[in-house]
Amino acid sequence: MIQDFITIIQDYWLLLLIGQYPNGPLGGLANTLILSALAIAFAFPVSILMALARLSKWWFLRWPMTALVYVTRGVPLLMLILWCYFVIPLWTGADVPSFLIMLVTLVIYQGAFLSEVVRAGIVSLGQGQMDAARALGHGYMGAMRFVILPQALYNMIPSMISTFVSTIKDTTLGYVINVPDLTFAASQVNNQLLTQPFQVFLILALVYYILCWSLTYVANSVERRIARRRAGPRNARLPAEAAPLKTITEQL
Amino acid sequence: MSTLVSEPQAAQAIRIADVCKSYGDYQVLKNINAEVARGEVVVICGPSGSGKSTLIRTVNRLEEINSGGISFEGQDIHAPMGASELNKLRSRIGFVFQSFNLFPHLSVVENVSMSPIRVKGVSPAAAHDKALKLLDRVGLADKANSYPGQLSGGQQQRVAIARALAMEPPVMLFDEPTSALDPEMVGEVLSVMKSLAAEGMTMLCVTHEMGFARDVADRIWFIDAGEILETAPPEDFFKNPRHPRAQRFLADLRH
Repeated sequence: MIQDFITIIQDYWLLLLIGQYPNGPLGGLANTLILSALAIAFAFPVSILMALARLSKWWFLRWPMTALVYVTRGVPLLMLILWCYFVIPLWTGADVPSFLIMLVTLVIYQGAFLSEVVRAGIVSLGQGQMDAARALGHGYMGAMRFVILPQALYNMIPSMISTFVSTIKDTTLGYVINVPDLTFAASQVNNQLLTQPFQVFLILALVYYILCWSLTYVANSVERRIARRRAGPRNARLPAEAAPLKTITEQL
Repeated sequence: MSTLVSEPQAAQAIRIADVCKSYGDYQVLKNINAEVARGEVVVICGPSGSGKSTLIRTVNRLEEINSGGISFEGQDIHAPMGASELNKLRSRIGFVFQSFNLFPHLSVVENVSMSPIRVKGVSPAAAHDKALKLLDRVGLADKANSYPGQLSGGQQQRVAIARALAMEPPVMLFDEPTSALDPEMVGEVLSVMKSLAAEGMTMLCVTHEMGFARDVADRIWFIDAGEILETAPPEDFFKNPRHPRAQRFLADLRH
């Protein structure tokens, strides 16, 4: 049994790591990492803009963004992926690579979810912080940038990690539109071996677990460090011990 | 609005003219007319729900009004104007909140120095030095690198006063600055306010501290149900209140 795992990894590690590259497109774990990183990197700023639009006093920003969030939340990601996959080439007439389609879909989808997290973080701060910033002469954007968002985003770290982790996991759905990622590579391996699906997909599951766990771990240590700095030397131990334990169990 | 023509050298720091404000059908402020002269300390008192806080929040336009006007150094702060113009006016009116509203993600010295840097464009080094001086003045120089969460309520409110002073406002507004404090911390905040008054700061304070009103105020505005019923120097107001509602209010305080 253990021998099976070792043999699979020995025979196929390169395929699982980078797919068919350099003879074909870059794939495997490398592509999964790139797709996840880009999706998170774009979804994060997009979500802040979406949250600000949803809180805007101008209806022409608020209404379309609210509609987008509702639609995105109410439609399964797989539907959205398939829809983009078939409709975007129809509309544009261009041969859009499936990687790009997957990336855009993930950014919209996760951006919408993340924007609700960001919005909750902003709203939960209450009016007092905004009042204080305005009374000191800060404009709306200045107050957001220097006063509201640093607090709102920090308070929302646990929920944001959840969304980031689910972004990583959602990259697997690229499989249905032939994005050559880790899942795609594992499936290729399985098709060649035919007799060891349990072993192949357990390896796949383990890799995803390690990936998601590492992200959670890094985020928790960042959160802990900020908490320690804010609490100062006197209260350092309390949040450092109490809060992150809870968030780790929440995430995994 | 003829009373609100722009007079750069107006004798009044604040002039409130015919101000009305309603929330739906409920009228919070009814035709308020009042003035605060330069260097004057005015205490607004009255029962809770009378509109004191709403009135003081209209002075720097944290609350909008329905009609009337409020001029600050001759400029109507409720006139239609661009956001940057309003921000500039607001930055010259210090405001101290009942609930302190310090920025918990910034250290004490950052709380005090951030707005001069970001709003007025003061250099970080100069703003930092100024902040330390202000913190020294409110007796908190040793807390410069602490975070608000590590301070007592009285200390936080003194930082909030220093933060407002850092913008060098000619006028300070206080909205019940001691109401959220434990009794033993009220004194430290009031003594900072007293020293400000002694230096000639123009102050408009909503407070329930009648001792402060008696000792420090130049004038009292008594407000009830959205109307200013009486304005008088404290010695007159406390000894011979003219309006029956004020008489009842003071009698209730003595019980």
